[in-house]
Amino acid sequence: MAELKPILLVEDNPKDLELTLAALERSQLANDVVTVRDGEEALDYLFIRGRFKDRPRGLPAVILLDLKLPKVDGLEVLRAIKSEAATQTVPVVMLTSSREEQDLVRSYKLGVNAYVVKPVGFKDFVDAIQDLGVFWAVLNEPPPGAVRPQMKR
Amino acid sequence: MKDSVRTITETPPELSGCDSEPIRTPGSIQGHGVLLVVDAATAVIRRVSANAVEHPSGGADRLIGSSLSSVLGKVLADKVMAVPPGESPMFIETTRPRSSNGAYHVLAHRMGSILLVELEETGSGEPAAFDVIYPVLQSLVSKLLAAKNMPEACAVAAGQVRELTGFDRVLVYQFDPDWNGIVVAEDRNDRLPSYLGQRFPASDIPAQARDLYRVNPVRLIPDASYTPVPLRPADSAHEPLDLSYASLRSVSPLHAEYMRNMGTAASMSVSIVVAEKLWGLIACHNAQPRRVPFHVRTACVFLGQVLSQQVAAHSHAEQYTSRMALKSYQSRLLAEMAGESEFLRGLTADKASLLNLTGSTGAAIVSAQQCILIGQTPGEAKVRALSDWLESRPPAEVFWTHQLSAAFPESAEYADLASGVLAISVSKLHARYLIWFRPELIRTLSWAGDPNKNAPDIHTGRIHPRHSFDVWKQIVRNTSEPWTDAQIEAATELRNHIVGIVLRKAEEVAELAGELEQSNKELEAFSYSVSHDLRAPFRHIVGYAELLRQDEANGLSATGKRYIETIIESAQYAGTLVDNLLTFSQMGRAALSMSAIDLNLLFQEGWREQRSDIGERHIAFAVAPLPTVQADLMMLRLVVQNLLSNAVKYTSTTPQAKVDVGYVSEPSEHVIFVRDNGVGFDMKYVGKLFGVFQRLHRMEEFEGTGIGLANVRRIISRHGGRTWAEGEPGKGAVIYFTLPKNEPQDKETHG
Repeated sequence: MAELKPILLVEDNPKDLELTLAALERSQLANDVVTVRDGEEALDYLFIRGRFKDRPRGLPAVILLDLKLPKVDGLEVLRAIKSEAATQTVPVVMLTSSREEQDLVRSYKLGVNAYVVKPVGFKDFVDAIQDLGVFWAVLNEPPPGAVRPQMKR
Repeated sequence: MKDSVRTITETPPELSGCDSEPIRTPGSIQGHGVLLVVDAATAVIRRVSANAVEHPSGGADRLIGSSLSSVLGKVLADKVMAVPPGESPMFIETTRPRSSNGAYHVLAHRMGSILLVELEETGSGEPAAFDVIYPVLQSLVSKLLAAKNMPEACAVAAGQVRELTGFDRVLVYQFDPDWNGIVVAEDRNDRLPSYLGQRFPASDIPAQARDLYRVNPVRLIPDASYTPVPLRPADSAHEPLDLSYASLRSVSPLHAEYMRNMGTAASMSVSIVVAEKLWGLIACHNAQPRRVPFHVRTACVFLGQVLSQQVAAHSHAEQYTSRMALKSYQSRLLAEMAGESEFLRGLTADKASLLNLTGSTGAAIVSAQQCILIGQTPGEAKVRALSDWLESRPPAEVFWTHQLSAAFPESAEYADLASGVLAISVSKLHARYLIWFRPELIRTLSWAGDPNKNAPDIHTGRIHPRHSFDVWKQIVRNTSEPWTDAQIEAATELRNHIVGIVLRKAEEVAELAGELEQSNKELEAFSYSVSHDLRAPFRHIVGYAELLRQDEANGLSATGKRYIETIIESAQYAGTLVDNLLTFSQMGRAALSMSAIDLNLLFQEGWREQRSDIGERHIAFAVAPLPTVQADLMMLRLVVQNLLSNAVKYTSTTPQAKVDVGYVSEPSEHVIFVRDNGVGFDMKYVGKLFGVFQRLHRMEEFEGTGIGLANVRRIISRHGGRTWAEGEPGKGAVIYFTLPKNEPQDKETHG
């Protein structure tokens, strides 16, 4: 089985985390999902430092980044990713509850690859995630339950 | 900013010489006395009047070079030589030379290095000396001081001077700011006609004469038909002799002629000087020649000085009283203004006070938006032209003139109404003026009657008071009564108050704008947090309920499943509501980005998006050829979607549903409408149709948040268009919207 790059999910809200994982599971993506809970952790993971200093090298296939994060917010994380040569090639999808135009404009200015306002309806959300997967994750014929969230505590 | 409008005096040619006449150095004296010019250091006689020859001293020329004591005797000559420096002639004594029958008053004054000694003949029956005059003078002064006001003081003084001098007529004559004169008081017998109220042009008393009258308080011409007596040697051989202060100074032949034409053989005038300015004259006339001895003249000068003091005091009192009156008008106006939202309107509430404040007959309040006319004024177009002219001048808070046409020639056509203008500028940024008008003086006078009507018609000679009045009338054409300092001050103060009010209002507006900005910021923060925080819980409810329905379906009863459906539906609805609200607020906040949009394509695309809602139904859809418009694509798409989804929704119960899009081209706008044959609505609710959260149907019949048409209206109005609707229950509805044909401008400001 080919080694797929993981999806990095950056999400502080546990409910959103669970629902996003459920949506990923239903969207038939074969990638592993690495989850981190704030902007600082996201950067530590990407730059292989802090508690991720021993992780195997390699970049995620795509970063699903929540806009509102404690400590370092989503826009800051995006700025850091896009201003480092090592990470700027990684596609970043801003996942947000916000329908504010200014957030969208700022994200695009910082070089976001996609911007998804999470729809209220769950089915719509699953569809959106699935569309993203087609774009940025490599599709396999996944066995059921192929998503292996690696919840770090 | 005083507008110095110069009077252009049309002096008749025969009088044009007046201004240049050497009245201080006539080179001659009147014949009722003798002049000796003495070296102040040596007491040697340098010059004499030619009539000295008739005097005991022998031939005039023989006197030149002799000592003063050889003429007056040592005692008197010593007294004369002891005269201190000073320009007023001093009375030395009355002398009766042995060689002559007559008695002479000896007067002397210094002029630099010379002494002018005048020997003035005494008249018969004149008061013998000062001590006769003093007690009389004392009671006169106390009466004069008791006068209650300026006209009364002038009338009293005229009577007293006549009592002292015995002249047939005594006038008190006052100058206006342009040096025209008016007779304000008179005391006379019936030998000479009345001149009360008569006006004289400035040219009657030329400038150099006025200057002389200011420094030398009294002039006497005992006999206007006198023959001037030349000086020996003549002026040509010497420096011209300055006779400014000499009692015997010879007068201008023109003046003598003027007197004769007035029917007066003798005249005297005493200056009234207020604040070092010639205020007027006490002018005395007699039908027959008349002498006035030195001490009587001196008493008259003294009365003139008392009158000057009285005039000053009364004019201060009058100014004070009138200022108090103006203050009360002002406070009334301010009270009216304070109570008005459009405060300038307040000025019109008390029209009498507005006009009284400056003693005007008309006023105008002029701004870009309005031109309010009060009282007697030129027409609106003329007033606007005047305010444009004011605007074109260098900026000034206050402008005034009593001869508008001299500065602004085109105003001559309404000079009768507005020769005088006093204007205050009440805004630095905009042309906003309050203008007062005053009529032409001639017009004012003609109400009072021509003072000349009763004057005798004596057509002798070239210059005559009768002509004076005609000349004066010519001069004061297009001239109003001048504005007083108090009136100008009152206007200036009013302006400052108005500007104060304007500033305060501006501050209030600024404060409101600040508050508005603050609340806008709060609103933004609110909608941002709604956007983030309110959507999330709805999403979670829907998400978890979905998971429950999918993953735990087996453990749920039918009722449980129905409960979950309801939870999902309600949360979904709440989320949609929040989304629609946010859209609505964004419609107000987001900037428009204009582009050319083909409405045909937009409606076709919009219709395709309705497919899922149409489902299995068949709806006949038709679109008339539509124009390409300038609009914000994202927003206009929302309009089209809203209108089409409404049409689809409200035809859901109609058997043969029809939706069509129509177009009417109006000169200035495109009119587009969407018509359906659905459930329609009752026109009595048409006002509610475009309101936020207004629903005309029950929830279970047609779902929706009631915000779609509110969005439509908001978007279209931001494009400068209009929205309206027609409907009939059971028959269908038509929703219209328009877009301007010119480039639409964003009609809403947004922070």
